Amino acid sequence: MHLKGFPQPVTLRDGTEVVIRPLRAIDGAELLEFYRAFTEEERQFLRDDVSSPEWIERFLKKVDFEEVVSLVAELDGAIVGETTLYRTRYGWTRHVGEIRVAVARDLRRKGLGIALSRAVVKLATNLGIEKMVVQVVENQVGARHTFEKLGFTQEATLRAHVKDIRGLKRDLLVLSNDVSHIWHAMEAMVADYSPMHE
Amino acid sequence: MAKTEIRVGGLGGQGVILCGHIIGKAASIYDNKYATLIQAFGPEARGSACSAQVSVADEVIGYPYVKNPDILVLMSQDAYNQFVGQLKPGGLLLYEQELVNLDQRLPAGARALGIPATRFAEELGRRLVLNIVMAGFFAGVTGLVSAEAIEKAVLSSVPKGTEDLNMRALRKGYEYGREQAAAPTQ
Repeated sequence: MHLKGFPQPVTLRDGTEVVIRPLRAIDGAELLEFYRAFTEEERQFLRDDVSSPEWIERFLKKVDFEEVVSLVAELDGAIVGETTLYRTRYGWTRHVGEIRVAVARDLRRKGLGIALSRAVVKLATNLGIEKMVVQVVENQVGARHTFEKLGFTQEATLRAHVKDIRGLKRDLLVLSNDVSHIWHAMEAMVADYSPMHE
Repeated sequence: MAKTEIRVGGLGGQGVILCGHIIGKAASIYDNKYATLIQAFGPEARGSACSAQVSVADEVIGYPYVKNPDILVLMSQDAYNQFVGQLKPGGLLLYEQELVNLDQRLPAGARALGIPATRFAEELGRRLVLNIVMAGFFAGVTGLVSAEAIEKAVLSSVPKGTEDLNMRALRKGYEYGREQAAAPTQ
């Protein structure tokens, strides 16, 4: 699938200019470097062992831009942010997309997280996804606020669902954003559209 | 240019009227021609017969009704059964090839070009843009409205937030239409 609208230049709050673009099959080394720069504690917030070359290799194979879509933020040839959209094309959750976002420490609090999140939310909407979900650990306050700014609200709390590096159990929050109203408008138009109503 | 008469037919819920409206809007508002639209619904919108009559001309159109269309755009078998006999001899039939089966009722000399519009729409993300795929197919095959005009007509007609998917649907249909139009007639 060719993603339209990319590469997308973004100017961060401190004037840094990054480019958001689809992940390429040749990005393995840069992606590994990006994730290896995360501290062990930070990696505890991620679902997979992203610092392993094997995981990177598997992930690159999985990114087919159909069921798994990945965008990266690039700065001077290095990857400084990554977002993934997971969806299924068949079955009862085919209208749902799950989003994950990771940003390099040096680029946090500068607007890169929301830029990446906004790009992937827009992409998901354009793919026809009606509901997006994202999981954040209770103390990931910045990530939670980022998604709330994009219209996500807390839908569920999974109590003591994740364990941090010290063995402390934390709640996992499921935030969701239902954008089906956009498509309801289109459905209404397609069902009994009358130009007389314009 | 003589008046070109078009009938778009299908089922309520397929966006038949919107398809006709977009073709007329592209011609009249963005290509500076004249166009009329007559729409007809069944007793209930969704799932019942539905059609639009569109006329396009370089001059003011005095009679907007379409009895024998030059071009038929059909998205359901019922619409085919109902309207194919009205197609002018030598006319053009554009049809959803996975929903419509052609038969001997197709008038002699008529050219029929099919497109798997529903499948394309589903592959793009949502079945409900099949009418936009059909509108693009219409523009690509006939050239009756320009690519720029129909893009503007789609963008100005669809709800905010759905523009990108609708544009991809339009371009998919348009490109497929260009290919089909260029292929040798069977």
